[in-house]
Amino acid sequence: MSARDFLLPDVGEGLTEAEIVVWKVAVGDQVALNQPLIDIETAKATVELPSPYAGTVTKLYGAVGDVVEVGAPLIEIDVAGDAPAPAAAPPAAAGEGRTAVLVGYGVATDEGVPTRQHRRRGSTSAPAAPAAVVPVSTPTAPARAPRSTPPVRLYAKQHGLDIARIAGTGRDGLITRADVERAVAGAGTAPRAVVASTTSVTRFVGHELAPWSTGPREERIPVRGVLRSMAEAMTQSAFSAPHAAAWVRVDATKSVELLAGLKQRESLAGVRLSPLTLVALALCDAARHFPGINSSFDAANNEVIVRRSVALGIAADTPRGLIVPNIKDADTLDLVGMANALSALVDTARAGTTTPNAMMGTTLTITNVGPFGIDGAMPILPPGTSAILAVGQIAKAPWVVDDEVVVRHVVEIALSFDHRCIDGALASAVLAHVGRFLNDPAPALLAG
Amino acid sequence: MAQMTMAKALNEGLRRAMENNPKVLLMGEDIGKLGGVFRVTDGLQKDFGEDRVIDSPLAESGIVGTAVGMAIRGYRPVCEIQFDGFVYPAFDQIVSQVAKLHSRSDGVYTMGLVIRLPYGGQIGAIEHHSESPEGYFAHTAGLRVVSPTTPNDAYWMIQQAISHDDPIIFCEPKCRYWEKGDVDLDHPPRGLFEANVAREGRDVTVVTYGPSVRTALRAADAAAAEGRSVEVIDARSIAPLDFGVMVTSVQKTGRLVVVAEAPANASVSAEIAARLAEDCFYSLSAPPLRVTGYHTPYPPSRIEEEYLPSVDRILDAIDRVIGFES
Amino acid sequence: MAIGFELKGESMSEIPLVQLLTPEGERVSHPDYDTSLGRDDIFAMWRDMTIIRRLCNEATSLQRQGQLALWAPLQGQEAAQIGAGRALAPNDFTFPSYREHGIAWCRGIPPENWLRMFRGVHHGGWDPQKYRHSVPTIVIGNQALNAVGYAMGVQRDGAEEATMVFFGDGATSEGDVNEAFVWAGSFDAPVVFFVQNNQWAISEPTIRQTKIPLYRRAEGFGFPGIRVDGNDVLAVYEVTRRALAHAREGGGPTLIEAFTYRMGAHTTSDDPTRYRIDAEVEAWKHRDPVERVKAYLVRQHQVPAASFDDVTEEANTLAAKLRDDVLSMPNPEPLSIFEHAYADVHPLIEEGKRDMVELGIAGGGH
Repeated sequence: MSARDFLLPDVGEGLTEAEIVVWKVAVGDQVALNQPLIDIETAKATVELPSPYAGTVTKLYGAVGDVVEVGAPLIEIDVAGDAPAPAAAPPAAAGEGRTAVLVGYGVATDEGVPTRQHRRRGSTSAPAAPAAVVPVSTPTAPARAPRSTPPVRLYAKQHGLDIARIAGTGRDGLITRADVERAVAGAGTAPRAVVASTTSVTRFVGHELAPWSTGPREERIPVRGVLRSMAEAMTQSAFSAPHAAAWVRVDATKSVELLAGLKQRESLAGVRLSPLTLVALALCDAARHFPGINSSFDAANNEVIVRRSVALGIAADTPRGLIVPNIKDADTLDLVGMANALSALVDTARAGTTTPNAMMGTTLTITNVGPFGIDGAMPILPPGTSAILAVGQIAKAPWVVDDEVVVRHVVEIALSFDHRCIDGALASAVLAHVGRFLNDPAPALLAG
Repeated sequence: MAQMTMAKALNEGLRRAMENNPKVLLMGEDIGKLGGVFRVTDGLQKDFGEDRVIDSPLAESGIVGTAVGMAIRGYRPVCEIQFDGFVYPAFDQIVSQVAKLHSRSDGVYTMGLVIRLPYGGQIGAIEHHSESPEGYFAHTAGLRVVSPTTPNDAYWMIQQAISHDDPIIFCEPKCRYWEKGDVDLDHPPRGLFEANVAREGRDVTVVTYGPSVRTALRAADAAAAEGRSVEVIDARSIAPLDFGVMVTSVQKTGRLVVVAEAPANASVSAEIAARLAEDCFYSLSAPPLRVTGYHTPYPPSRIEEEYLPSVDRILDAIDRVIGFES
Repeated sequence: MAIGFELKGESMSEIPLVQLLTPEGERVSHPDYDTSLGRDDIFAMWRDMTIIRRLCNEATSLQRQGQLALWAPLQGQEAAQIGAGRALAPNDFTFPSYREHGIAWCRGIPPENWLRMFRGVHHGGWDPQKYRHSVPTIVIGNQALNAVGYAMGVQRDGAEEATMVFFGDGATSEGDVNEAFVWAGSFDAPVVFFVQNNQWAISEPTIRQTKIPLYRRAEGFGFPGIRVDGNDVLAVYEVTRRALAHAREGGGPTLIEAFTYRMGAHTTSDDPTRYRIDAEVEAWKHRDPVERVKAYLVRQHQVPAASFDDVTEEANTLAAKLRDDVLSMPNPEPLSIFEHAYADVHPLIEEGKRDMVELGIAGGGH
């Protein structure tokens, strides 16, 4: 035997309670399924309720004239142990957090403190019992949210700055990009000027190299002695191509101004000039000055290959992923030639039509992380190459000129290199060379 | 390539659809002998017969309600509602039956019907002939809404709509019916639900559709003369909206203006602005602005130009998004 | 036999109506609509009516016990529905409103499927093509136009099929039903309009919907209309059978007005005692559609009591099964709402599904 309560259901009259008009059964009566139990009356109608169970009446919860709320028990019926499975509780029926309406189970009521029913997005577990409430604001939060545009908020966030802690100088305290730039500068270390290298420019892996213009197009140097030691040591100590990196911040204001000026020239209309054009020219120029950077370590033959021709790889972020097509004989290109070659390379890569051949034989690589709003990176070398240059964003920053702090366009460049054949001195020399080029591009361009 | 008006392009598209599929039939008021009040169905009854090009009784709910039954029977009816302002008697059938029967039948019924709806203003018409009811339908789950603005799009989009298995409200900008353009009879320009960058630019993105596309392009010309580079996107599909193209553009320009004839409140332009604010939050240098018809009944034609989005009003919005302090 | 409408100050009872079986169970002849149905056929009709009445009562109980959101009972209209339903050929197609449980029974749709909509687990309930019976239509009168369109499709296919659509007296005031009449008349659509005039559109009497008998509306639209005693299953069967044949043979539409009575409430949410008097209901009880067939079978064909008892027992078994089926009816999987909203891929549908899964509202793995 088991006792079951029949709760006053929603009978669709749009009210939440009913008055007991007459009981048609008494305690001790045997009732059959669907046998009329009671007449109830709401303000709208009198309704006869049939029994959902067969069994013995053990309790009547109300007397004639009593008003019963929807969902409250009306009657208790003892269902025989071997009786058929009793009716399940109404799935979402009145009395279980619902208010009756005209044509349905009723409206869900919202009693008590609401709690999260489902898990948080990104979490894999069901919601925990209401407990630790994480405040979204600290007690010291300003009375009103800091005012700034979304891109400026992003800029601050990328520099790890709390926008709320930056003073706004715009209208009504608006935090402008310039405000964030000042805050970034204040938080950073003092930038350095580019310094010229004193390293011998022609010495490479213990050899004196012939100049770019007079040396053989390809030259093989046995890996012996110091070189061999460095190579073996680096291989053992790290991956197959042991990476090292160097970086420098450069005042590129003259590059920015030069590009702005060139863009105004009618003769250059349609040429897509960008900072990357100058970086590419700078790196090729550096290779001409320091051929050792344009080399590769051939472990299988125990040789280092030096090439006097730059196949300039450009790391391109395409819809299909990262690819590194290259510009063959990039060292022979002038400003316009380089700009056009880069445009063609990028367009082809974006269109997804880059050929395998365009990705073979890379000797030097540039990865431009500036468009991502990034200051610098330590990239991994493409296989078969010994150096890759990372270029960050060009952004205004305070710079010391003649002991005065002035606003300049500053860029960070970084060089990852294969330490088996390229030592820090060479890498630094190449990096400094590129830096000088960007710091004052006109002389190099005119010379080229 | 062939030169033709948009009305003729629709006519050719309908003809080709009827030739390709014998289950395609047309229904509407005055579409047979007369060829439709815009001549879009001109000559089709003569060539395909009265059983396939049906001059219907003057009852819009009847047109759509019977089309529902024909679709259940396996036909692909193309209904013409004579003017935007006359679609309301059919509204019940469209939202109660057309939009829901595929779902209510667990996918057994294919509601592959097209409801052609000449819409929008700029034609100097009398009352109930210049309305933009697309928002009502875009709001309704189960429906799709598209709008061509060029003869080439019209020729292809009507065919793509007819062959699609979901019900499609096909909004035809009346002010574009007689404008000529090239139609490529061999290759569709793009998918039915894809937006088109009608003009590339760098400084501001203008998203629009239907009758306002030409206005927006003219505004972009005027802006260019002032040294501003405006990108104009023709949404083409009003529901679903092709946000991919729009997001790419706004991420580039950082500024958005939405243009439509329908009033802004709870509208398609509202949806575009809201969604792009969600998806491009960190790219927006200014709040998205909308240039739309005012929140009044469509005005008498002598003052419709003052009501409609104009070149000047679009330029003003461009000024404001560019001038926004950031 | 005019009590029902005289009470409303009407004299519609003077209208001739086709009748083959009187309320007392006497067979009467009719010059145009006689029947060749024999004892077994008529007993089968009584069985159908008895079973759907029993199932309908079970559904009402289930609603009173909180197991259905709503129920629309058909008591009093069993003859109208079984007569019409049995007249259909297998290939005919039918468009119901929401009270056509008897038609659904004749179309072979399992009873638990009728209750899926009222339980709140589905907006349809069955495969409409499989059973040749469309999904329920809640919006009053919409289905009349859908049926005419379907019939026009049949017409264009050159198929010998009829389409039948069911609606009530209230629906005849809707624009869609009148438009459907215009279209059907204008195109000679092979459709039968079957209006169950049960005297009440919730609380409004038929006189609020029409000043002339409903069947006479047809004349104005250019096709025949006929009133049949909707509580006489034999007459309904014969009138419907001929109207369907007329449609299949290219004769065009017919409007059948089945003159009947809604014995119960409009739905379980309705209280008819507020707008009609007991005497009217009592008067119609004497015209009960099920009892008159039983009286006829006993008197004319000497059907033994055991045969009736067997059917009553069968009906009880089916009712118990219906109860079990309803109580064990699972709630639909939340993600199912996205399944057929569109036929083709739709970005907002994909987005909605992702959202539900990510928040754990629906399954799809952790």
